[in-house]
Amino acid sequence: MEENRRFAEKFGYQFPLLCDTERKIGMAYGACDSPDAQYARRISYVISPEGKIAQVYEKVSAATHPEELLKNL
Amino acid sequence: MPMLKVGDEAPDFTVKTHRGDEVSLSDYRGKNVILWFYPKADTPG
Repeated sequence: MEENRRFAEKFGYQFPLLCDTERKIGMAYGACDSPDAQYARRISYVISPEGKIAQVYEKVSAATHPEELLKNL
Repeated sequence: MPMLKVGDEAPDFTVKTHRGDEVSLSDYRGKNVILWFYPKADTPG
């Protein structure tokens, strides 16, 4: 949590960073292969207002992904 | 684990955020949510 807090402060993020320490979200969303996976894969989803998966991104570049997402929303 | 597909129900979760509070996916009903996974805070890629 401390690492995420510093990360958010460094860049002034206005959204919550989720601390998925037990990889529960990562497992549920296919970002991790096991609960003791060291890291999550860099993937993303757009979830609709109704709570359904609306878009799936299997390969995400941190540099260009925000623009890509905004274009498709 | 396989990724979810378009149209799947997004599994709800409750988790702590970097601010120490708790957040659930269901808190965001009625809004678009971007759920972006990353390996580790402040790493390149």
